[in-house]
Amino acid sequence: MTEFKGEKGARSSPASRGDAPMTRDSRFRLVDGLLIALMAAPLLCCLALKVLFTPESEGVDISGAMIYLTVPGFPLQDLVITESQINSWAIMLSILGLCLYLTHGLTEKGGTKRQLIAEWIVEKCEGLVSANMGERFAGYEYLIAAIMALSALSSLSCLIGLFAPTGDVNVTAGWAILVFALVTYTKLQGGFLNYLKGFTEPIPVFTPMNFISEFSLPVSMAFRHYGNVMSGAVISALIGAALRGLSKTLLGWIPVIGQIPLLQIGLPAILSIYFDVFSGLMQAFIFAMLTMLNVSGSFPQEAWEKRQERKAIRKQRAALAKA
Amino acid sequence: MQSLSIISVNIWQVLISFANLALLTWIVKKFLFKPVKKVLDTRRETIDSAYARAGEAEAEAEEYRRNYAAAMAAVNQTTDQMIAEAARNAERRSAEIESAARDRAREIRQQAEADALLEKKKAEADIRREIADVSTQLTEKLLEREIKPEDHRELIDSFLQEL
Repeated sequence: MTEFKGEKGARSSPASRGDAPMTRDSRFRLVDGLLIALMAAPLLCCLALKVLFTPESEGVDISGAMIYLTVPGFPLQDLVITESQINSWAIMLSILGLCLYLTHGLTEKGGTKRQLIAEWIVEKCEGLVSANMGERFAGYEYLIAAIMALSALSSLSCLIGLFAPTGDVNVTAGWAILVFALVTYTKLQGGFLNYLKGFTEPIPVFTPMNFISEFSLPVSMAFRHYGNVMSGAVISALIGAALRGLSKTLLGWIPVIGQIPLLQIGLPAILSIYFDVFSGLMQAFIFAMLTMLNVSGSFPQEAWEKRQERKAIRKQRAALAKA
Repeated sequence: MQSLSIISVNIWQVLISFANLALLTWIVKKFLFKPVKKVLDTRRETIDSAYARAGEAEAEAEEYRRNYAAAMAAVNQTTDQMIAEAARNAERRSAEIESAARDRAREIRQQAEADALLEKKKAEADIRREIADVSTQLTEKLLEREIKPEDHRELIDSFLQEL
């Protein structure tokens, strides 16, 4: 499908007028092809890697990501490169390819499908961020777009048989810590003392609870996302195994057909639509929404305006004193 | 192949994931948002300039229209003046012509009346002379022959015919 779309987009952009446009057209198409390859190749490589390294197993095997490589010698813990890292990188490469593909051959006039899609994405992200965070956080649209793309595609990557990186708590924890860092950074913009004072509100007795709630934010965000995706994978694996067992018990006596787990047809696909597609997209959206709400909520508009006012007054006073 | 247990925290993996998201944010900004925003901005500029140009053209057209309307009004006024003047001239001239014609007619009538009077007098004189002639002739004829009733009639008829 992407192949077809690419061809169409290329054909519709420069019309074939004589010799020079033809070569430009073919070069345009060549670049398109390369970009599509950049989108598809990393995922296919991951798939090949997984197929090569997955041990043959019978029965239910519920475990985390496969470890491809262990690099000892790092402080605290060994550096392990697992499926989730490799898949994340592959997905990032795919997103890079997608970005380049969508922005390839942008024109002021527009009109091609891919340009419409690219503009739609950009405008939606802008709209979402300005609606939820306000204009002064406009710079967050890149992060929100990145979170949504990475999270959604990570969760969806299990549709082609890859291990979903979002099913690894380390991955979502990394994102949650980034969000936490941004929240803290935004809070610190109100001044370090104000930041510390924020912990003693509404009364100083609440300080320990405020600390807990402060640090529960990244934990809850990481585990919410991870838990949703992982639980879906676990339930799918369990039901798949159960259906295989049932199939063997009920139909195992039939000579040839009995070897095929017929009962596995149907139900897992429906579950996959919910757990992999719906839940994955939902969690991507939720994670992005929580990011926006937490960051913008950490320094509310009124407080910000007050601070700006106070700053302006201080500046005026300083100017007066100088004069 | 070894696997991680289903929940295991590895600080380096967390760090890698952190860096991944930061890197992807940069990628999305650089390779998707920047080019698209650039295109959108140039498009907005083009549209704005087109609107500005259209506004200018409209103002210009409005000015033209106003000038044209003013010119037309002036022309209309002049025309009205000219027509009014022409009408006034025509009236005056017609009055002149009329009075001249009336004078002339009076003259002609007076002349005619004078002529007629003269003619009448002339005619009267003629008639008088003729009557005198006729009576003379009649008397001559009466004296010439005896008069019978038929002759009498004839005589009268011939007299009348001669008359």
